[in-house]
Amino acid sequence: MMRNFKHRVFQLATAVCAAVACGILAMIALAIVRRGWPAVSWQFYTEQIRLVGAAGGIFYNLIGTFILIATALIVSAPLAVGIALVHGVYLRGSRHQEKVTFLLYLLNGIPSILFGLFGLIVFVKFFGLGKSWLTGGILLGMLVLPTVTVALCERMTTLPAAYLEAAAGLGLRQSQIVWSVVLPQSLSGLITGSLLGLARAAGETAPIMFTATIFAGATFPHGIKESPVLSLPYHIFILAQDSFDPSVGAKLWGSALTLLALVLFLSLLALPWRLRIHEEARHD
Amino acid sequence: MASTPIAVQQPWSQGRTLRSSFTRWMSYAFSTLAIAFVLALLSLYVWQGFAVWRHEGLGFLFENNWFYRQQHFGALSMVYGTIIVSGFALLLAAPIGIGAGIFSSEFLPLRLRLAVKIIIELLAGIPSVVYGLLGILFLRDWVYGALSPWEPLSGDSLLTAGILLAVMILPTVMTLADDALRGVSSAQRLAARGLGLTQTESIISVCLPQAWRGIVAAILLALGRALGEAIAVFLVVGRQDNQWPANVFSLRPLIESGQTITSKLASSETNIAYGDPLHWAAMISLGLVLLALTAVVTVIANRLVQRASRHDA
Amino acid sequence: MIESMTPLADATERQKMPTVSAPILETRGLWVFAGKRPLLADVELRIQPRQVFGIIGPSGAGKSTLLKCLNRLVELTPGLRVRGEVLLHGRSAYAPEVDVDALRARIGILFQQPVVFPKSIFQNVIFGLRHLGKVARSEWSVVAERALREASLWHEVKDRLDEPASRLSVGQQQRLCLARTLAVDPEIILMDEPTSALDPKSTESIESLILHLKQNRTVVLVTHNLGQARRVADTIACLTVQDGVGRVVKRGPILAGDFDGPIAAEFIKGRQ
Repeated sequence: MMRNFKHRVFQLATAVCAAVACGILAMIALAIVRRGWPAVSWQFYTEQIRLVGAAGGIFYNLIGTFILIATALIVSAPLAVGIALVHGVYLRGSRHQEKVTFLLYLLNGIPSILFGLFGLIVFVKFFGLGKSWLTGGILLGMLVLPTVTVALCERMTTLPAAYLEAAAGLGLRQSQIVWSVVLPQSLSGLITGSLLGLARAAGETAPIMFTATIFAGATFPHGIKESPVLSLPYHIFILAQDSFDPSVGAKLWGSALTLLALVLFLSLLALPWRLRIHEEARHD
Repeated sequence: MASTPIAVQQPWSQGRTLRSSFTRWMSYAFSTLAIAFVLALLSLYVWQGFAVWRHEGLGFLFENNWFYRQQHFGALSMVYGTIIVSGFALLLAAPIGIGAGIFSSEFLPLRLRLAVKIIIELLAGIPSVVYGLLGILFLRDWVYGALSPWEPLSGDSLLTAGILLAVMILPTVMTLADDALRGVSSAQRLAARGLGLTQTESIISVCLPQAWRGIVAAILLALGRALGEAIAVFLVVGRQDNQWPANVFSLRPLIESGQTITSKLASSETNIAYGDPLHWAAMISLGLVLLALTAVVTVIANRLVQRASRHDA
Repeated sequence: MIESMTPLADATERQKMPTVSAPILETRGLWVFAGKRPLLADVELRIQPRQVFGIIGPSGAGKSTLLKCLNRLVELTPGLRVRGEVLLHGRSAYAPEVDVDALRARIGILFQQPVVFPKSIFQNVIFGLRHLGKVARSEWSVVAERALREASLWHEVKDRLDEPASRLSVGQQQRLCLARTLAVDPEIILMDEPTSALDPKSTESIESLILHLKQNRTVVLVTHNLGQARRVADTIACLTVQDGVGRVVKRGPILAGDFDGPIAAEFIKGRQ
C-alpha cells in the first residue's frame, strides 16, 4: 500500500531526526565526562589556580560564579514577580497583556554580548566602577529576567479563575488576593524560573567578560568598585583560546565538566516543579 | 478562555488604602524598570555609535574595509559573516529540528515525549563556552580533515562556526516546534483519522498547516539566537577581517576563516577601541546593527506566536 | 440475545422484512480496559444492514467508547485496550492484516461537536476523498455535490463553496461533517450524539437525514435522548453501568411500552 509506505518512511525520517538530536547530547556528555573526570578531585575544588591553570584548582572560580548568579537571582526575582503580576493579575484579560509578553520576548532576544558592552559603557566606564561583581550580577539578572518571568507567568495562568473568584467573593481586596492566593500558589513557578535562570546565568561568558571577571588574581570581592571575581565560564574561555599547554588539558576539561554539571544540576533540580505544573495544567 | 478580572474594583468613595495600591504600584514600577532598561540599552547604542555613521555613512554597512588604524570602518565582511554563519546553521538545524519536533509530538507516547523534551532542553542549556571548547577540540579538526581535498588553511572557518551554531540552535527549534504541534486540538486529528487518513497524512494535512505559525516562530527564534551568539563563534570562526568571497556563487568562501559581528565584539579590539572615539563608535554601531537584526527577527516571531495563540483560543 | 423480529410498534407504516440476513457489523465478547480496569464488559451486538441501530444509555456508560471500537478509533486513545471481536461482514476488523485506514474509510464517523477544518467548505467536503486516491481530481466536484446533496446542505452552500467552513452555523457544520464522511462513500456511519450540540431545528433535519441515509447505508447512532431513539432507530441496545462497568442490558426493537418499561427504568437507574 503506497499510502502506508509513505507513512512508514515519514515516521522513520522524523525518528532519525529525533535520534540525531538526542544522540548529539549523548556524544557531548560522553566527550566531556571522559576527558574531564580525571581532573575532578577534592583538591580541584578547594584550591585556587596556579601556573595559569596548569595546576591547582578552581576554587575561586566557583566562588565567583556563585556570587554572580546569586546576585543575578536577587536582582531578577523581584522584578520577575512584579512583571508576572502585571501580566497575570493587573492586566489579565486586557489587550495590553500582550505587551508584557512582547517586552519579555524583546529582552530575551538581545544578544548577551550586547549586555556586556552596555555594562562596559555604563558601569565600568561611566560610573567608574571598573570591573565589579555587582555589575556582572545586575547584567546577568537582566539577562535571565525573561527566563524567570516566563516560568512564573506560565504558572500563574494555570491558576484556576475559581480560586480568585472565591477569594474576591469573600471580600478580599486585590492586594490581599495577590499576597494570600496568587503568590503562594505560584511559588512553584518562581522556583522553576529561578533555577532555570541560575542555570542560564552560570554559563554566560559574554556579559561578564568586560565587566566583572578576570582570569586570575582575584579571590573574594572587597566592596563594589574595582572588585572583579573569577568565574568558571571565563576561565574556560581564556584557556580554550590559542594553542594550550597539554598539561592544562585535563584541568580545562575538568572545568568544563564542572560547569556543565552545575548547569545541568540546576536545570534538573527544577524538574519536579515543572512536571507538577505540567500535570496541573493538564487537569484544569 | 474566560478572563475574569480578579476582584471587583472598589469605588473611589470607599477609598483605597495605601497598602492596597502598594503591590500594584511596585509591580508596575518593576515593569517600567525593565522597559527602561531596554530603552536605555537601545538609546545608548544609538547615541554612542552615532559618530561613525557620520564618518562613513552607509559605507559602514556596505564597504569591506575594516582597518581601524587608518580609520576605515567598512563592516560588510562582518555583516556577511554573520548572515552566512547563521543562515547556514539554520539550514542545517531547521529541518532536523522540525522533524524531531514532529516525531516527539506525534509519534511518541506522553511519557517518552516528556523524557525527550527534558533531554533536549538540557542540550539547550549547555553553555556556549562549552560548545566553543568542543568546537575547538573536535569540530575544528574534523572539518579540517573532511575538507582536505579542498585544502583549507585551517579548521577555523565560517563553515565550522555554522555547524557549531547548528548544533546549538537545534534544541530550540525542536522544542518550539513540538510545542506548536501540541497546540493543534486532538479533535482535529481524530476527525482526520476517522475519515481514513494515515497518521502521516493527518500530520501533513491537519497538524502542520495549523501549527505553521509556531513552527516559523521557532525557526526565527533559533535564528535570533544564532545571530547573537558570540563566544562559540569567536572560538572557531577564524577571526579574519575583510574576508569577502571572490566568487559569490562558489562554496569556497565558506571554508575560509571569517569574522562575524559578534566575534569582533568579543575580541580584544573592544577594549582597544575605547581609546579612540571613532573606533569606539564603530564598535558600538556594530552592536547596533546586531541589535537591529535580532530585534526584527524577534518581533516577527513574537507577532506570529501571538497570532497563533489567538487562533487556538 | 434477542433477535429483532417484531416490527416497530409506533406509528410509521414501514414494513420490515424479517431480518434473517447476516449482520453487517457484529461484536462478540467485546471488552475494553483502561489499564487493569474494565470500562466495557462482554458487549454482544448484531447490527443489520440498512438499519438505524441505536445505542442508548446514560452518560458515562461507555457509549462513545463502544462506538469507537467499531472503527478502531479507540486505538488512538492512549491506555485503552480492546479484547474480543468486531466483525465487519463476518471478518475480524482487528486482525493484523487489516488496513486500518481503509477500514475507517468504510466506516465513517460523526462526532458530537462538529469538527470542521480551517479550510473552505469545498476543501472540507473532499478532505477525506483526496487522500483515498480512488477518485480522479476531475471528479471531485461531482462527488462533493453528491455528498452535499445527500447531507441536505447543497442548496445552502452551493454558491459559496470557497468560503471558510467556519462561517457556517453549528447545524450546517454538522451537516458538512456528514457530507465530508459521505464523500468517502462509507457503508456504515457511526454517529456519536450528533445532535446534542444542536438546536431543535437542526436536530430535526439531522434526524430526517438519518432516516434517508438508511436506505443505502447502515447507521449506528449513539444518543442519550430516548425520544430521538424512538423517532429514528429500528433496533436499540441499552448500555448502562453495572458495578462500575458498562454492559448492554437490553437490546431489541423499540416497542411502544419501552418508555414506561424496563429500558426507561434502566435509564433512570443509571442516571443516579
